[in-house]
Amino acid sequence: MSIVSTVQPDLRRKRINWQKMLVIVLFAVVPLFLLMLFTYVPFAKMIQFSFHNMSYTKDKGYVGFANYLKVFTKQEYVGAMLLSLYYMAGAVVQLALALFFASVLSLEKIRGSGLFKGIMFFPFLVNGIAIGYIFKFFFTRGFVLDTVLQAIGIPLESLPYWLRDQSVNNWSLVFTSVWKYCGQNMVLFIGAIASIDPTLYEAATIDGANRWQQFRAIILPGIKTVFMLNLILSITGSLSAFEPAYVVGNMGANGTATFFIKIHEMAHVTQKVGQASAMAMVLMALILIFTAGQRLFFRFVMKDSENTFNAKANKAKALW
Amino acid sequence: MKKLLSLILALCLVLGMASFAAADGELPTFDKIVLGENTDLAADLVFYYHRTDLDKDENPVLKNYVAKFNETYPNIKIEYQTDTDYHENALLRVKANDWTIMGIPAINKDELATYYIPLGSLETLNGLYNFASAQAFGGNVYGIASTATASGVLYNKAVFEKAGITELPKTPDEFIAALKAIKEKTDAIPLYTNYAAGWTMGAWDAYIGIAATGRDTYMNQELAHTKDPFAKQEDPATGAYAVYKILYDAVKEGLIEEDYSTTDWEGCKPMMNQGQIGVMVLGSWAFTQMQQAGDKPEDIGYMAFPISIGGKQYAPAGSDFCFGINVQATDEQKLAAMYYLKWLTHESNFSYNEGGLPIAKGGAYPDLYAAFDGIDLISDVDALPGEETLLNEMNAESELNINNGGNTKVQGIIEHAFNGDKEFDDIMAEWNAAWSEAQAALNVEVK
Repeated sequence: MSIVSTVQPDLRRKRINWQKMLVIVLFAVVPLFLLMLFTYVPFAKMIQFSFHNMSYTKDKGYVGFANYLKVFTKQEYVGAMLLSLYYMAGAVVQLALALFFASVLSLEKIRGSGLFKGIMFFPFLVNGIAIGYIFKFFFTRGFVLDTVLQAIGIPLESLPYWLRDQSVNNWSLVFTSVWKYCGQNMVLFIGAIASIDPTLYEAATIDGANRWQQFRAIILPGIKTVFMLNLILSITGSLSAFEPAYVVGNMGANGTATFFIKIHEMAHVTQKVGQASAMAMVLMALILIFTAGQRLFFRFVMKDSENTFNAKANKAKALW
Repeated sequence: MKKLLSLILALCLVLGMASFAAADGELPTFDKIVLGENTDLAADLVFYYHRTDLDKDENPVLKNYVAKFNETYPNIKIEYQTDTDYHENALLRVKANDWTIMGIPAINKDELATYYIPLGSLETLNGLYNFASAQAFGGNVYGIASTATASGVLYNKAVFEKAGITELPKTPDEFIAALKAIKEKTDAIPLYTNYAAGWTMGAWDAYIGIAATGRDTYMNQELAHTKDPFAKQEDPATGAYAVYKILYDAVKEGLIEEDYSTTDWEGCKPMMNQGQIGVMVLGSWAFTQMQQAGDKPEDIGYMAFPISIGGKQYAPAGSDFCFGINVQATDEQKLAAMYYLKWLTHESNFSYNEGGLPIAKGGAYPDLYAAFDGIDLISDVDALPGEETLLNEMNAESELNINNGGNTKVQGIIEHAFNGDKEFDDIMAEWNAAWSEAQAALNVEVK
């Protein structure tokens, strides 16, 4: 401030520009430096590590693509990657549920909808480890879930052991993940729906569109961006699922070890940092491929609905 | 010029640090520390350790030790920091300077000097302390054992009596027969696996050395060179195969808890104490915890692992975490830490109280090892010079992580036995293959 007030008026303009530059640079330097230091340098290092056979303390040298090759040839890792399919299936259910609740809460005037939103959103606020412990008790034989199911008349003998039986245990874990993230997705959807011009509904109602038609023709195209975001986050989240399998599934025991858990084990138990880095790189590549794939897919699918949306909107506007 | 500089530097040091110990720059070795001397020593120490169970507000065992120590050394402040995830976090924290004493985690022996100060020569300390070689490298000792244990099997005496087992099982067959008797005649769970906790499964690895072979060279010298270490050895059933076979058979015969995926480590202690569990395969450090978990401490017993070699049973004895002192600490801190460790080893009764074998030679043996009468207690000898890190490397390369956090492989035994989707011999064959591959990759001579 003091500098500004002492400069000559005719010089001020130029001076201020320089200052502006300086301020911008100074402000940018610190975060950029931190970003470089804590994100890009470690990332570059990880790429380098992935081509080495090394532990935390010993580097046995460059091994080319050997680490990468192992990721794809070891059945153990491929199986772990396939576990993501469970979580992806869960993600689809989760999005459908979230969208359903969001639409209902937005379209209908429901008493206590605020409370309901709060209840649905609450699990997202709970720490993932705490959720893990909650669900460990939830799924234990004869505990919460079994008690509830028995109360509605299902005998204990016909119930599976939710975490022991390998035919159901991954679904149990997926359920905890859906439980946690469904509310968050819902809130995002509600936010997006709220930004849609309400006159469109009125117009649609006058046109005689029912709720389902309104949902398909107005809401779905209107929240396309948020829907895409949620979908991408959920699918990439499924690829790197960790918390449920680590806490509820006893660190990935009993066939619940996701790829992320395998990476953790490789890095921290076996301490093969090179191999773990290569696995992390593969995971990242997978996530990128899935994200790009989804974008491409929806570019084609959504094009259609976007046209419908625009046509309807124009029609509605024309009516007014 | 150089001389002047060093003189000034030395002067600064002398003036800056009032303590006489720092002034002479050289730390005494551990054996030269005499308790009762230097009682005005002042330092703030951070003691990083894994025993969360001893660091609870209702049972501040560790703090009580410090209070006792402070009666003689009032100016040495010690703050215990305990961590449930110690094994992992210690590996990260070892490089920092925010601790003074810690239990030395699983690092390679050739790195000991990077992080810890030498406490004395192995030659001297070996004569005075048990397990001095546990964390030694190049003739120097870097860690003093905290407590030491002989590994065996926890059992409930009342349950055994009720099941009509009068003589402790000495072979795998007798052991399985005893478990069956428990299942038939009592309501107790014969063998509680503690599957869910993970590390309790990796604990089985501790028996494949001395307990299964009777050889003190097996674990650190032979295993890395052995061809097919998991191959079947019959008549008598010995070796790693026999150890893991017990677990597989127990699961297959339905002699374990109903739902292994939700076992609860904290919950199993009172169950053991109250006679709801017959047997648990855990190190003797667990003995005291089981005793304290209820009102029947007298029922808890400890026996040697049920494998006999030539009619004789062997029990591996070894140290728990060894205490090491941070190389980056100040000289006062290092000296104060030495006094505390000396006191902990000689006067605190820490190891005895925890049911451990004596650390200082000539110390008393606790009751726990009453059933070890006539059983050979031997310690694993060190790896051969130049091969100190070989087993670690073999563990990493084979990803079996024997005795080194390889919990998932032992959990796999239970899963396969329960689901019936893989025969025991096939599991062992896989492990042998992984071991052979690692030997080939590391160019290890196979004998």
